[in-house]
Amino acid sequence: MKNNCCCKLASRIGRFNVTNNLKAFSTAILAAGLLAGCHIGSVNTVERAEPVARRQLIVDKRISHDPFLKKNLGIVAVNQATTPAGLLQVQIEVLNLTSSYMRFNYQFEWFDANGMRVSTPASTWVTTQLEGGESKFITGVAPNPACQDFRLKLIKSIN
Amino acid sequence: MNMNKYLVCVSVFAVALLSGCGSSAKYVETGSRRNVVTVGQINIQDYNQAAEAMINSLLASGVLDRVPNPPAILAISRFVNNTSEQIDIDLLVKKIRVALNKSGKAVTRTTWGLGDTAEDPLAKELEATAATTAGRKADFTLSGKFIETTVHAGRTRQSTFSFQLSLSDARGLAVWEDEKEITKQGTRPSIGF
Repeated sequence: MKNNCCCKLASRIGRFNVTNNLKAFSTAILAAGLLAGCHIGSVNTVERAEPVARRQLIVDKRISHDPFLKKNLGIVAVNQATTPAGLLQVQIEVLNLTSSYMRFNYQFEWFDANGMRVSTPASTWVTTQLEGGESKFITGVAPNPACQDFRLKLIKSIN
Repeated sequence: MNMNKYLVCVSVFAVALLSGCGSSAKYVETGSRRNVVTVGQINIQDYNQAAEAMINSLLASGVLDRVPNPPAILAISRFVNNTSEQIDIDLLVKKIRVALNKSGKAVTRTTWGLGDTAEDPLAKELEATAATTAGRKADFTLSGKFIETTVHAGRTRQSTFSFQLSLSDARGLAVWEDEKEITKQGTRPSIGF
């Protein structure tokens, strides 16, 4: 009787160990798969240590309502130039501060000397992507020579 | 009496709920992130984004200012559709025309088109009467091509739509060209078609 009980207990312990081992193994496989699938590496860059080009940087004002974008999407610099046609051209360098792939939308708005918004079909939401650690230049060209100011809107993409 | 009042209230509430929930239709901003995205089709936001890229590129190039008498006159030429869907080219071209018109850099001739067809026949008659623009039909012609590339890998589908545009001058030289590619990925449901 006692022997029979011991056998049953041993069998249960054995099954428990096998089940636990299986669970641990499958968890490890799943974790490895997830890690391999989700993290495919960040972007490394190399460039001239002392760039020849000199950007005409402008002082910007930032208003943040989305804590996610504020924390994870860095605005590195904002610079401007004038095109050969006399149009204001704005370039904004954004940087993905995470190591994950990120997708967001942006839209330029343009204003004349009186601060009135200038309507143009070119002022539309554009979807763009950044790999982990990648920086990208977002460029906008004023729709006409009367445009003096701009505003860039950024929002998380849901598609 | 109280029971009747209760029933009336419940009925009114139920009707209000049903009428409110019956329709899920709503307005969304064209081109915004709330628009529907499909893999195998060109969505309205794709046209908007392609137009935005082309307008910026064309305006920044300054090529439209290289005409003796600004603004430049633009004529719309042939657009080749090599995608699997029927396309109205004005979903792209009209946006570019509007932007160029508003910029003051170019105007589009509406009385001259492929095969002697006029976009605006009355304007063509008026032009013939006035004959003010003899000898200068257009400074530039705009032509283009839309291409679709589709691939599958397992349940993942990917479509790339290429929008290629060229601006040619009176010598027949492409003085500006650009391309915008939009790639979309999606997965098929594991059950069903």
